[in-house]
Amino acid sequence: MDNEGRRRFLGICLGALATAGAAAAAWPVLRFLSPRAGAGSAAKVTIPEKELPEGEAKFFEFAGASAVLIRKRDGEVAAYSAVCTHLGCIVQWQKDRQEFLCPCHAGRFSSAGEVLGGPPPKPLVRLPFTVAGGNITVG
Amino acid sequence: MSMLDRVIDWLDVRIGVRELAKEWGSGYLLPRNINFWYSMGSILLFIFLLQVVTGILLLIHYVPDSEKAFASVAVIMNDVPYGWLIRMIHAVGSNMMVAIALLHMFSVLFMGSYKAPREINWLSGFLLLNLILALCLTGYLLPWSQLSFWATTVATNSAGAIPYVGPTLVEFLRGGKLVGPPTLGRFFALHVALLPALVVVLVGIHFFFLERIGISTPPFGHQGKKTPWRGDAFRYDAHPGGIPFIPNYLLQDLTSIAIYLAVFLSVVFFDPYLFFPKEAFVPANPYLTPAHIKPEWYFLPNYQMLKIFSNEFVGIAAQGIAMTLLALLPFLDRGKERHPLKRPLFLACSIGGILLWLGLMIWGHFS
Repeated sequence: MDNEGRRRFLGICLGALATAGAAAAAWPVLRFLSPRAGAGSAAKVTIPEKELPEGEAKFFEFAGASAVLIRKRDGEVAAYSAVCTHLGCIVQWQKDRQEFLCPCHAGRFSSAGEVLGGPPPKPLVRLPFTVAGGNITVG
Repeated sequence: MSMLDRVIDWLDVRIGVRELAKEWGSGYLLPRNINFWYSMGSILLFIFLLQVVTGILLLIHYVPDSEKAFASVAVIMNDVPYGWLIRMIHAVGSNMMVAIALLHMFSVLFMGSYKAPREINWLSGFLLLNLILALCLTGYLLPWSQLSFWATTVATNSAGAIPYVGPTLVEFLRGGKLVGPPTLGRFFALHVALLPALVVVLVGIHFFFLERIGISTPPFGHQGKKTPWRGDAFRYDAHPGGIPFIPNYLLQDLTSIAIYLAVFLSVVFFDPYLFFPKEAFVPANPYLTPAHIKPEWYFLPNYQMLKIFSNEFVGIAAQGIAMTLLALLPFLDRGKERHPLKRPLFLACSIGGILLWLGLMIWGHFS
């Protein structure tokens, strides 16, 4: 092998070694900084039915984000993610109008989660839930 | 022309990077007989960078609150991915930093590099050593274990032996009558903000002196061309015909750092609790002093001296005198000769001093 080729080969070896070393050092740091999986969020949330009178809403934490349960005037229960589909603010429940208002950019959602007005591009995300034995279980 | 060349050209026209690279790199000549011991400073710089990086990472999960500190350290060790690694590198690294700083100092001592015109470089290094010890001491309290709590109690208490101002000084250091939550607050601030900033400034000053005065020639081997320093005017200690820093000595520095990493990581991976007595794993209890509480190895001689002298003030004064002598060494030892074997009195005194220090350390450990 000529001298130039040998230099090039050794250079590549050194570069590969340095890259491997840098990766070995960066991996623990990256893992150290990564958000912890499943921290502070339950997979299922159970709320007693009596905590949710007619026309009212109940906000709670679900899967690491905000969620809301409402009981409409006709007694029907619905569960949504409380995160506005526009820019991620948390919607408010307006009891008198029976609709959601996002205070950030005045997005409006109906009690069925549909967009009534304002900038939100999509309806609120529906969450699965079951009602049994006087408890509402979301998730 | 490659992209890199064009970027370098662009910068060269504006800030003269090629001239800088020549001045600080390939044109920065070192004495031909320069040895391995001269790379201790580079190892120290590397350790300091590692301490800064791991320290910032630990800040993400550590909670500086006496109620939560111990638990947050336990979370770092047990739950956070690779938290044990980051913390062990930081904790073992602090011990290694003291050890390498001492080796750096001993090599300067035995090769007479502290002598004129490098007195101020020695002084800045002496201050750096004290800052490192202060960083170790303040960092020690943060995990809020029995060990941290009582070691800090003993260490801050020794300041009380100073006449007149002692008791006030102790209370000021602790932020209260006893070590408690206020102590954690001030030690945390010192450890993460003030002391590291001071170290950065002082390292800059230390390097400035090194660059300005020039590197000393080791007193061994081929002496090269001599330009004796006369003390009448500033004269850069040049080494004509010496070896360039880049790439020659940089490779020596990298080799030394690699050897250091091998030793350091074998402690981190194979005996991480080498420097941790069992009290380090018990949360602090202000109402229960554990038996035989001892400081870290580098404070053991100080600890033992306080035990030997029945009068606490005499013990503190003896340490103060020893440290003052060390700081003023270049002003006391004014001879021109730098070869250790041609300075028998100096050699006897310094070896005697080191043996005494080691003896006190071993005595302190087993007492």
